[in-house]
Amino acid sequence: MASETQISLTIEGIRFGYNGSDILENVEFEARSGELIGLIGPNGSGKSTLLRLMNGILRPKAGTILMEGRDLNKMKVDEIARVCANVPTEFNEDFNLSVQELVSLGRYPFAKGLWWDSTEDEGLVEAAMRKYGVHHLKDRRFSELSSGEGQRVLLAKAMVQCPRIMLVDEPSAHLDLRYKLEVMEHLREMLSGNVTIVIASHDLNLLAKYCDKVMILSKGKIVGMGTPREVITAEMVEAVYGVEVAIIDDGDGIFAIPRRTRRKGT
Amino acid sequence: MVSRAKAKLLMVLAIGLLSLFVLLVVSWSLGAVDIPFSDTLGYLLNIISNFGPDMSVPQERIIWDRVVRSVAVIGVGIGLSVSGVVMQALIRNPLVDPYVTGISSGAALGATLSLLAGVAIIPLAGFATPMAAFVGAIGAFLLTMALAETSGGRSVNYVLSGIIIGIAISSFTTLLIVFSENHRLRGALFWLYGSFSYITWVESLIIILTVLVLSLVLLLFARELNVILLGDEHARHLGLNVKGFKTISILIVSVLTAVSVAFCGIIGFLGLIVPHSARMLVGGDHRLLIPASMMVGANVLLLADIVARIALRPVELPIGAIISMVGAPFFIYLMYKRGKEYGV
Repeated sequence: MASETQISLTIEGIRFGYNGSDILENVEFEARSGELIGLIGPNGSGKSTLLRLMNGILRPKAGTILMEGRDLNKMKVDEIARVCANVPTEFNEDFNLSVQELVSLGRYPFAKGLWWDSTEDEGLVEAAMRKYGVHHLKDRRFSELSSGEGQRVLLAKAMVQCPRIMLVDEPSAHLDLRYKLEVMEHLREMLSGNVTIVIASHDLNLLAKYCDKVMILSKGKIVGMGTPREVITAEMVEAVYGVEVAIIDDGDGIFAIPRRTRRKGT
Repeated sequence: MVSRAKAKLLMVLAIGLLSLFVLLVVSWSLGAVDIPFSDTLGYLLNIISNFGPDMSVPQERIIWDRVVRSVAVIGVGIGLSVSGVVMQALIRNPLVDPYVTGISSGAALGATLSLLAGVAIIPLAGFATPMAAFVGAIGAFLLTMALAETSGGRSVNYVLSGIIIGIAISSFTTLLIVFSENHRLRGALFWLYGSFSYITWVESLIIILTVLVLSLVLLLFARELNVILLGDEHARHLGLNVKGFKTISILIVSVLTAVSVAFCGIIGFLGLIVPHSARMLVGGDHRLLIPASMMVGANVLLLADIVARIALRPVELPIGAIISMVGAPFFIYLMYKRGKEYGV
């Protein structure tokens, strides 16, 4: 089965840093279509930097990134936008855009009409707003929404971009329990359309439950990669986060329950 | 939603044009000398059918002057308002106006220099002052951009650079005025407060044509302006070449503003209050916002011009002062009400 799926992202020997100090070192992995990949790691481990390398906002100092087999460095921003959508953690908009107007901006990379959006685009926008439960807010100003509502609007906006690769930075930060699960379920649904989704998050349990693969970054290096069961172990979490955890396996999935921080030198 | 947006746009244009027509007739009829409304249109038809006013008929001469002036007023009203909308989107701060790049100070210095020195170096003698103002405006703009780009290129860098360059240039202007002879002072003050008193029909034509062409170009960028509202990084995620787009549109806005300033002096606050009022009317989508701002801007400045001419007639008030008198309280209200949300 693995041979049928396509490689959508190839990261080869990536090095990146500001002012001489490296933030990422020798990062290598492949992502295939239909895969949901979780990216975890402590604050400052390089998760967001890695996402920004994968969408072409930052350029690596060494190594190459191939997006659907093409060198990312040689792709124009609009070509990247027709393949890859981003969902940022936070986002400020003070210009009175309505929810509907904001979501429809996701169609910008494909805009054909000179002026108005096509009926087809409008249909996609409607469907995405319904899917993420923000349809009833469509005429509200984006800036008036709660953070959770805002996050779902951003997910809807990424969805209308019909991406084949989706990079999501901390989707669960402002969501309540139900929406956290719903968002992950929607993302899993999108996978069947042969999308690759990379999610950076601090929520180990959420990623463990929904991701096919988990990747742990620590101090700019990938220290673990594999299925959640393989990667999220008590030893690993303690080594990377400095926190003692108990791993509970309920048969369906695994959960890391934090016990206490490990003091230095003990 | 497109059909709703279209309906909204049509309504804005219809109401805007209707009120513009009424204001135009009022503006052509009232002034130091009043001409009955009913006669105004008749004289106007004569002027049109004769391709110009019959100078032997005083009413036609008066109306012709007012027509020329109103065309310039509408041009500047549209130009400054559209510039305001675009500048606010590009700098991502709703509290900036088109003068934020130091353009007004540069223009004032250029104009003051040419007026005080009585320069006629530039071949087009009649255009010496507007040309000097235009050169000053673009010069100040380039200085501001250079400073902003080298200091990081964030919106706060643009705002601060504009303020610093503006203050620096203004101090030169002040010194020039202090050391100048009295009779030339009035000419310089004209630039500082804005006026349409001495506008000629050639100048009017230059203003309106430049404004209409450049506004049309900016209208074509409406979708890109919506995208840029999301911030530079996010706009790039959506496939917009942010740097190229910003460079082109800032250049267009600068020329648009500089043309207004060069012929009519500094009219503050218009580029700030009109985009805000228009946003309250139609929301933030630039496909609606730009046309709405054009309409509101033309109407507001034309109204202000009528007030400036008839409030204390026969004395004419500086139009910039009229706009500022309304604009300053409006701005304070905005800051008070929304300032916290709008941190740079």
